[in-house]
Amino acid sequence: MKFRSRIAGTKIEAQMAPMIDVVFQLLIFFMLTLKIVEEEGDFNINMPIGRPAQQTSDDINLPDIRITLEADPASGELAELKIGPRSLGNGPEAFERLNLQILRLIGGAPGRATSKEQEVEIKADYDLHYRHVMRAVSACTGRMENGKLVRYIEKIKFAPPNKREP
Amino acid sequence: MKFASHRTDTVEVNMTPMIDIVFQLIAFFMVITNFEQTQADERVKLPSDQLAKPPEVKRDDKLTLNLGFIRDRDGNRIDPDPYVFFGDEFVRVADMTDKLESERQFYSTLGTELSEVTVEIRADAEVPTGLVQELIRKCQESEFERFALKATIRTD
Repeated sequence: MKFRSRIAGTKIEAQMAPMIDVVFQLLIFFMLTLKIVEEEGDFNINMPIGRPAQQTSDDINLPDIRITLEADPASGELAELKIGPRSLGNGPEAFERLNLQILRLIGGAPGRATSKEQEVEIKADYDLHYRHVMRAVSACTGRMENGKLVRYIEKIKFAPPNKREP
Repeated sequence: MKFASHRTDTVEVNMTPMIDIVFQLIAFFMVITNFEQTQADERVKLPSDQLAKPPEVKRDDKLTLNLGFIRDRDGNRIDPDPYVFFGDEFVRVADMTDKLESERQFYSTLGTELSEVTVEIRADAEVPTGLVQELIRKCQESEFERFALKATIRTD
């Protein structure tokens, strides 16, 4: 088979200028819209205020675990953390102790059917910094083990807020 | 006077390495750009927690409420009272009823059930807990049912 011989020597040069224009425009756009944000996660909460939790006859009626957070009225920092009537102190160790107590209350075995039904009610003083409530929520939720979440309790609710003291 | 005559050879710049690098940069910025968290307000200094996890299923309908302090560039509080950053407005929690009511109407016009809408609360770590609870109560009065409390993910 014979091919038609092409005219030799005509080299078509690609026009680079428009492409570079567009590429730089894109680059600048992405650079300017870049907003570095920390990755965010969340905790789901169960809020039955004004709507009592529907109980069916199949539900195992477990008493709620009550956690009380008392605030120092002047600073809003945590003054005392309590589980039921028992004081766990304050500071970071208190939340560690809370985590251990929760594990004990769910029978030392996370992930059982009963621990899925167990509810925790958090009652916090009005002026308490929100940070401490989140730590309490986290301590009830579970703990991290080798980079994996071991879940203790899923249902967390808040008691109606205390009125602000004048 | 006689000038040395220049030869008129055009010197071609090699564009290939530059284009390589520029495409790399574009790819990098495209991957890193996050258009999702547009409702996050950077004035809110969220509490951080190890166990906070991004939701497993992406939420279709969510209402993000940012509750925080008005801060200057250095992060100092200008006003001691916390506000809800609602669009460009600063709204006190006590005055949120109307805003939430209009959100409720908005969802009912769309035909979305309010039980499907998750209210994501992004509250500053130093906001009084009572205010967050008050905000949740106001949302409940407007018939919102699902709530999620946001925190940054601490990795240590």
